[in-house]
Amino acid sequence: MMEITAKLLGQTTVVSIAGSVDALTAGQVTRFLSSRVGEGQTHIVADLSQVDFISSAGLRAILIALKESRQQGGDLRLAAAQPRVENILKMAGVTSILQVYLTQDEAVASFGS
Amino acid sequence: MSIRRQTTRAAELESLPRFRETIDAACQLQPGIDEQTRYDLKLAVDEACTNIITHGYAGMNPGSIILALDVDALRVVMTITDFGHAFEPAEAPMPDVQAALDDRPMGGFGLFFIYQTMDEARYETTEDGNCLTLVRRLHPAKEE
Repeated sequence: MMEITAKLLGQTTVVSIAGSVDALTAGQVTRFLSSRVGEGQTHIVADLSQVDFISSAGLRAILIALKESRQQGGDLRLAAAQPRVENILKMAGVTSILQVYLTQDEAVASFGS
Repeated sequence: MSIRRQTTRAAELESLPRFRETIDAACQLQPGIDEQTRYDLKLAVDEACTNIITHGYAGMNPGSIILALDVDALRVVMTITDFGHAFEPAEAPMPDVQAALDDRPMGGFGLFFIYQTMDEARYETTEDGNCLTLVRRLHPAKEE
């Protein structure tokens, strides 16, 4: 089970993901984020506070969205990952190529909006 | 006390949450398995089963995947059996986790996560199917 929603805060799109991001649901995350970038919403905060499980497929979805947003001059930043999800991000070296914040507010503020 | 759980599911992505539920249920019966260990067990099985579903049964009628768990106070042994194409783990490239975004392949982390989280991973193919055995020690011996 996975749910994904978005809200606009100034120029920043906050995407909240809840549940498990595995090979079953990762495609939905990729499509959702791609369509936001396609609409010009290239400053994205992905709030992971409600993600209780992420696999390599979920990681791939994040990396694809990161690449797409940067290609359009924007960025994707992560917020509020649970400790075990953060471990996965660290294990894969993702925390060295994107910005990770403790809270959604900090991540949104980092875009200056 | 030893706990054994086994489940057989169709080799389809919809089965992934069911395998994770089986692991959760088995872990709840064994005191002392922490949340990180439980996550690692689910991650390793998820990655292995995803590979089987997307590659092992490629071009074939989807078959089944059998997950068996043996849990005691010292370790968790998980065996995953399928009847698809054999896979040679040693030939799979490992991702470069230091690479910059532009140089980084978008996939390839599945096997890497299995090796990172499990103490043992053995793969064998016999006439009875392909069998991946994953072992996670619950009280790892101190390094000498």
